Amino acid sequence: MTTHYLVLSVLLFTIGAVGVLIRRNAIVAFMCVELMLNACNLAFVTFARQHGNLDGQIIAFFVMVVAAAEVVVGLAIIVTIFRTRRSASIDDANLLKY
Amino acid sequence: MELYVPILVLAVLAAGFAIFSVSIAPFTGPKRWNRAKLDAYECGIDPTPQPVGGGRFPLKYMITAMLFIVFDIEIIFLYPWAVAFDKLGLFGLVEMVLFIVTVLVAYAYVWRRKGLDWD
Amino acid sequence: MNDIAAPTIEYGQLAPMLLVFGAAVLGVLVEAFAPRYLRRSIHIPLTLAALVGSFALVLVQVFVSGVPTSPAAMGAVAVDGPTLFLWGVIAALAFVSVLLINDEDNFVAQAAAVPGSADEEDAEIAGFSQTEVYPLVLFAVGGMLLFTASNDLLIMFVALEVMSLPLYLLCGLARRRRLLSQEAAVKYFLLGAFSSAFFLFGMAMVYGFAGSVGLSDINAALPNVGGQEPLLVLGTALLGVGLLFKIGAAPFQAWKPDVYQGAPTPITALMASGTLVAAFGALLRVFWVALGNFDWDWRPVMWGVAILTMVAGAILAITQTDIKRMLAYSSIAHAGFLLTGVIATGAAEQNRDALSGILFYLLVYGITTVGAFAIVTMVRDAGGEAGHLSRWAGLGKRSPMLAGVFAFFLLAFAGIPLTSGFFGKYAVFSAAVAGGVLPLVLVGVVSSAIAAFFYVRVIVLMFFSDPAADGPTVVGPSVGTASVVAVAAAATVVLGVFPEPMLDLADKAASALFVR
Repeated sequence: MTTHYLVLSVLLFTIGAVGVLIRRNAIVAFMCVELMLNACNLAFVTFARQHGNLDGQIIAFFVMVVAAAEVVVGLAIIVTIFRTRRSASIDDANLLKY
Repeated sequence: MELYVPILVLAVLAAGFAIFSVSIAPFTGPKRWNRAKLDAYECGIDPTPQPVGGGRFPLKYMITAMLFIVFDIEIIFLYPWAVAFDKLGLFGLVEMVLFIVTVLVAYAYVWRRKGLDWD
Repeated sequence: MNDIAAPTIEYGQLAPMLLVFGAAVLGVLVEAFAPRYLRRSIHIPLTLAALVGSFALVLVQVFVSGVPTSPAAMGAVAVDGPTLFLWGVIAALAFVSVLLINDEDNFVAQAAAVPGSADEEDAEIAGFSQTEVYPLVLFAVGGMLLFTASNDLLIMFVALEVMSLPLYLLCGLARRRRLLSQEAAVKYFLLGAFSSAFFLFGMAMVYGFAGSVGLSDINAALPNVGGQEPLLVLGTALLGVGLLFKIGAAPFQAWKPDVYQGAPTPITALMASGTLVAAFGALLRVFWVALGNFDWDWRPVMWGVAILTMVAGAILAITQTDIKRMLAYSSIAHAGFLLTGVIATGAAEQNRDALSGILFYLLVYGITTVGAFAIVTMVRDAGGEAGHLSRWAGLGKRSPMLAGVFAFFLLAFAGIPLTSGFFGKYAVFSAAVAGGVLPLVLVGVVSSAIAAFFYVRVIVLMFFSDPAADGPTVVGPSVGTASVVAVAAAATVVLGVFPEPMLDLADKAASALFVR
């Protein structure tokens, strides 16, 4: 019964992870990270249902708050570098190497 | 199942009201046409040509959106507390007040640093 | 409906951490209400006092009220021997790092101003400074304290973020080479967020397996693993990815050199010392307390990670031409050495030796690292710190004192006898041998030798090559920086010559292992 939700959650997580790896725009990569966090939330709520305790639902609340804080910090950093470089492409960020 | 009957009734009432009002309006309302009314609706402003990709917005939109998200999501913790308020008693109240005070500190920072001013 | 019993919270046990968080919140209020010219002079005493107070409260718990024997806050936070030891270490390291951070011109005048713009010039002329640095550092330190002590995966995840989010921001605040600094912040942020998502999914899987995220509950659920292995194995692997990323173990080490190079050097010092200590505390807790009886499954993978980390850290360091990147790869290699101790689990006696070795190693490595980065801040070109190794040529002839101390720190990293690094490595490796991971220790010794090669190469470069005519200047250190170097050098000597008291303390802290 809950298996479908788990499969969906794993799929979403994988889509997010692949997105982070292949997308070149920092904002899009970051949105993919958020997708991964939300996939985790789905898994938590599913397991909460399966185990019949509420821990997973409360954890989902915490994850949402942490994700919101992460959005704010992340967008601040990305906007700052965008204003400097006029580009949010990760490929353009190539000063640090070797 | 009986639990859901009121919700169903409400849904039917709401849908019925919406369909009724929208379909009756063209027959009963006055018709005064002008150019602005025939344009695409854009918050009452004359529509302007949009650059590809939506164009660029000033940063202050982003700052407002970010502040909204942070303070909005903090409130999520009030829901479980509100549900169990009577059982948690004084302890829960004190903890929640501490939490809100902490959020207020962040709010004070935003306010004093003019994060809430539009211009 | 049954009544919910109000939870109990042992405020006394949590006091060292609550003090740091409280001071951070006060710091935000200072930012909000104090006039600009006063802020710095309020922040510095506040920040230092909070860290000293936190350290003192740790001492009070250790020597007066006694080490607690059961977890606090309904089992969410475990303030046990190892936690108290690491809390003391983190508070001390944060204190010296703040002395370094306090050194005026490492931070940007106005982070929001575009580099090279008129806004930035105005901000610099007006003498602005981004004093938010201090509360951000305190939040990060508070997160580190909670990270080592969390006895519950949810608390651990929140602590991980509380520690990381301020550090992402701090990375982007360097005053010079701002493009580099901002790039480091973006990279650190994206990779950090990516890895914490993995941690979170691992947590979801483990929750699915055990029905709880408390470390001791997970341990208790291990015997009933029948049919649930995929969840547990996947969860363990993903939790491991998140934690190993934070300690910079290979293959998750890619961020470390970039971030260490781009971040303002005082922040690099804080990350290289405090974050590593905190992350090892959390790693030990997850893999020993929660998954200790599952070690037949995670140990082979951890073997591979440890070998890869040691070898990659040592070999890649040789090819570096930037001093901060070199120190970053050195930090990766040291993380690998520490991992050998994590793997050496077994009977309680072995665990105790391995744990006390790791605790001691973290202390000596952290303090030497802060000292080394303090020296990096003092060697400057016109455009800021002289990072390139070629600029360090002949430094020993121009300022023998500074180059001598730096050489001493490098020897301590290499683990030469009579430095603290020797006893650190000895403690961990001997525990690892006793724990039956001899091949791993051999790899460790070989990569130590490779690592010693590049440390010695820097020393040779400083003392036996001719200084360039337009070489970097060595700035006269401020009182803060000078005392950081002095403290780090003194600690490296004292712990290298006379380590017994501290080894005893680490041993005592490890004696009861982790409370469950």
